[in-house]
Amino acid sequence: MSPDESKVVVVPCSGIGKTYGTVSREAAYEVTEDLRPGSTGLVALSLLVLGDADARAAVQAHPAVTIDGCKLACAAKMVQESGGHVAQGIAVLDVYRRNRELKPQGIAELNEGGILLAHAVAQEITAVVDEVLAGEEGPTHA
Amino acid sequence: MPELPGRKVGIVACSGEELAEGTVTRLAALKVLEQLRPGETVTICLPLFLAGGEGDRAFARFYPTIALDGCEKRCAARATEQFSGKPAASVVVTDLLAEHGLDRPQGARRPDQSGRQAVDVTADRVADLVDDLLGGQWSRRSGSFVETAPATTAEGTPQVGCACGSGIPVQTVAVDGQAVSLAALPLIFEQFHGAGKAPGADVTRELLETVKIYNDVPAGTDEAYAAALAREYAAFCGQAESRS
Repeated sequence: MSPDESKVVVVPCSGIGKTYGTVSREAAYEVTEDLRPGSTGLVALSLLVLGDADARAAVQAHPAVTIDGCKLACAAKMVQESGGHVAQGIAVLDVYRRNRELKPQGIAELNEGGILLAHAVAQEITAVVDEVLAGEEGPTHA
Repeated sequence: MPELPGRKVGIVACSGEELAEGTVTRLAALKVLEQLRPGETVTICLPLFLAGGEGDRAFARFYPTIALDGCEKRCAARATEQFSGKPAASVVVTDLLAEHGLDRPQGARRPDQSGRQAVDVTADRVADLVDDLLGGQWSRRSGSFVETAPATTAEGTPQVGCACGSGIPVQTVAVDGQAVSLAALPLIFEQFHGAGKAPGADVTRELLETVKIYNDVPAGTDEAYAAALAREYAAFCGQAESRS
């Protein structure tokens, strides 16, 4: 079954041990609540870990943008293992490398740099979402 | 004894992004890790039980673990049990709020006043459980408590103890032709070699006894495990000598 490209699901890693995980989470909320609320949906990674049927169905039915805070790329791996299609994998570290002035700090609460970095990540996701909805698609992050 | 991760309690939060209670688990876990019991707790990202390696999957056997869930789906508790080891304790935020007669939190992105109250109540419950668990004697071999013992002094520094990607060192060896993953074996070899213990029958027996502390060696397989350990330790020593 080919994914329904009228909607994109966003799957952040929400890593709990590093600030980049919090950036991934904040960026996902920014996209799904503020920037593209009608055309995106949030899928909780913990549900995919457990093999929740609804969560698996969501990533199988729609292209996914994953956001990972470290090189282990849990979000991208779990979407793929759940039978989903990663339209684009975003690595927060890569975005940070392109925006060195936005140094994130804090896990429970992000500093200003972290919030701005999340905003930069959200902007990249939004561009991908728009491309997918327009019928184009970026490369899959490994 | 090999230098292994200190006596700590593991906390695995569901961090569910879709529900306010999921955010409560994340913030409560971080409050315990950063403020309430910083030297006595460690955490790991839940998906690493699948996306990580053997060392990550050994987490709940090495640390008595508290699973912290936002809802009745209990993703953290069930996934921890399924992929790592049975949690020593489990907290479900919705149950805890009902127990305390508190309102359900609103806002997954930013907790409202009810959410902040839920974080405090949940973190306090988890901290109490940490204290209880540190008072028990945890067997890393079986991944369960073996008896009640006086509380030990915790070590550590006041920062979030993240085990992501580091995990427990594990080495896979062939025992009677079967691949077996042995937790802590690299550290055991390192310690034995550092102590100047040359491969031999006596050292192999000692290795086996040490391996049994951290791993389940089925009854009647000592000889096969000893043969595997003798072979692997000789190889380890050979490689170490060639490097020096």
